[in-house]
Amino acid sequence: MNHVLNITANNTPAVVERLLQVTRYRGYQLTGLEMKPRSDRSVAITLSVSGDKPIHLLTSQLHKLYDVVQLELAGSELAVLSA
Amino acid sequence: MKGAELVLKVLQQHGVDTVFGYPGGAIMPIYDALYQSSIKHYLCRHEQGGAFSAIGYARASGKVGVCMATSGPGATNLITSLADAMLDSVPVVAITGQVSQAVMGSDAFQEVDVLGLSLAVTKHSFMVRSVDELAATLNEAFTIAQAGRPGPVLVDIPKDVQLADIDAELQAISKSNSNIQTSLANAAAARKLIAAAKKPVAYIGGGVHMADAMNQLQQFLASNPMPSVTTLKGMGSVAKDNEHYLGMLGMHGTQAANLAVQQCDLLICLGARFDDRVTGNLQKFAPLAKVIHVDIDPAEINKVRFAQVALLGDMKQILPAISTQNNCSDWLTHCAQLKQQYGWRYDHPGERIYAPLLLKQLSERMPDNSVVACDVGQHQMWVAQHMRFSSPRNHLSSGGLGTMGFGLPAAIGAKLARPQDTVITVTGDGSFMMNVQELATIKRFRLPVKIVVIDNQRLGMVKQWQQLFFNERYSETDLSDNPDFVALAAAFAIPGHCITRKDEVTDALEAMFTWPGPYLLHVCIDDKDNVWPLVPPGAANEEMITEAKA
Ligand SMILES: Cc1ncc(C[n+]2csc(CCOP(=O)(O)OP(=O)(O)O)c2C)c(N)n1
Repeated sequence: MNHVLNITANNTPAVVERLLQVTRYRGYQLTGLEMKPRSDRSVAITLSVSGDKPIHLLTSQLHKLYDVVQLELAGSELAVLSA
Repeated sequence: MKGAELVLKVLQQHGVDTVFGYPGGAIMPIYDALYQSSIKHYLCRHEQGGAFSAIGYARASGKVGVCMATSGPGATNLITSLADAMLDSVPVVAITGQVSQAVMGSDAFQEVDVLGLSLAVTKHSFMVRSVDELAATLNEAFTIAQAGRPGPVLVDIPKDVQLADIDAELQAISKSNSNIQTSLANAAAARKLIAAAKKPVAYIGGGVHMADAMNQLQQFLASNPMPSVTTLKGMGSVAKDNEHYLGMLGMHGTQAANLAVQQCDLLICLGARFDDRVTGNLQKFAPLAKVIHVDIDPAEINKVRFAQVALLGDMKQILPAISTQNNCSDWLTHCAQLKQQYGWRYDHPGERIYAPLLLKQLSERMPDNSVVACDVGQHQMWVAQHMRFSSPRNHLSSGGLGTMGFGLPAAIGAKLARPQDTVITVTGDGSFMMNVQELATIKRFRLPVKIVVIDNQRLGMVKQWQQLFFNERYSETDLSDNPDFVALAAAFAIPGHCITRKDEVTDALEAMFTWPGPYLLHVCIDDKDNVWPLVPPGAANEEMITEAKA
């Protein structure tokens, strides 16, 4: 299954690495990456990933990253549970 | 003031009076500032040990543990301990020195990409680029370490930032971690499941005490009497006088706990995460049960086991909100019978010491509120099975990572956090040697830590698996040429005693506890003793192998 994640994150030097590390470790493959700094502080990142596991297992882990401000799964309800 | 002094000032603002660490080139400015600081620095003898002490300090006290190391090898030595803190959700702030920014990225002496290394083993990590960001970054580190599900945070500080001048007034820090969002929207659904359940079980993890919800848990279990089981990290959460408590579940859990969970129709998971050491074969775990999952970390919900009802947020608020009326007296009677039928037996033929019995005696003899820090292996499981604790803060065990070498340094940290309480480390002959250098820390600070080495002359847990699952091919698990542990302790001015027979145990424990300082008790046991019961790999939790069946 392919998924597209639209992420707003803090624009820190390690933020892309963090997203990719979690993506790889949780067992998803990166199929595309686009980023646009919005300001010094904020960056918009689009991650395209594929994987056999349910996507909420990835979105919930990415959402937990301190640098991730907002995360949307394109074309679906937000797969992240929150309080 | 210099950046280095600012670091210590900010630590003090956060109430830090104790840090563990080891100096080196890239962190010398901070050590220079420590020279005159009122913060007490405890010199470990290996950074892994220092970070484990910070973990022991944090776990025994509930405060943030702080450790420091220099760049390169100092920082890489922290990695194992950070991973341990990550998997057991321990609030730790690790401060590392880094080479100056002028040479960063040039493979400078003792330069390692510590931020890169930290990604997989921390909750978050920072590299401080300017002294102007230093205070705010450290404040954030403390907030992140404690907020929500706690965890380790690393702050990498280049030497030039430590040396830079700053005349900033310290900002007042806000205690911001109390605004946990809690949703009680599903509380009614949870109450409905609990009220309807005929066979409920409460499955309790480390999340309950970390949320400071021990009282709420006792109230919940009192108003909805039901059997309860705990994970390794949840041990000590259920009051000692709760008659429906069945012990630890999972691979080396009690038969009563595992059977009750396998038979239950409702599993109420409180601050636990369905770890594979708990569930055994996941497909066959609690096959009849609906699940209510209460946690602070959204990523744990439906991660490995689907929950019919999930509640996210503060355990303290959630437990009262899901409390209801339930009548399951037949089930309670059934579970009481399981507990009775499968109770521990301590009859053991021969004169040799039986570790489970010795640990039971230790548990009964140790003062109330003692802290036991264990290592990893068979002795660790025997501690979990045969000792009782009044709080999870009194049982420090490396759960998620299962790191040998945890026990001795964790005990040091616990003793410094709680000087009034007795601190014991129960270790194995293999694990003890992994951070044995920390005996020097005990010697230097005359820390009255009691060390119990359970010596089977083997890497016992691995040997047990070789015996059961690898055709008795004992590859590299023989330690019969161990050093003389009492002599080793003596080299660090720690007195000790070696026992081999059952009839020596009572007196030996007495001698250990009445001796005012650190003490090492070397306990020789039979290398054939194994941990029972055991759920073999791939099996369901009711398929436990017991000693009689092995
Ligand atoms: C750092 C580390 N290396 C290897 C292991 C694998 N391991 C798990 S238990 C064990 C044996 C532990 O031996 P010992 O400390 O003597 O305890 P025993 O099982 O004999 O009680 C080993 C090697 C581990 N858990 N941690």
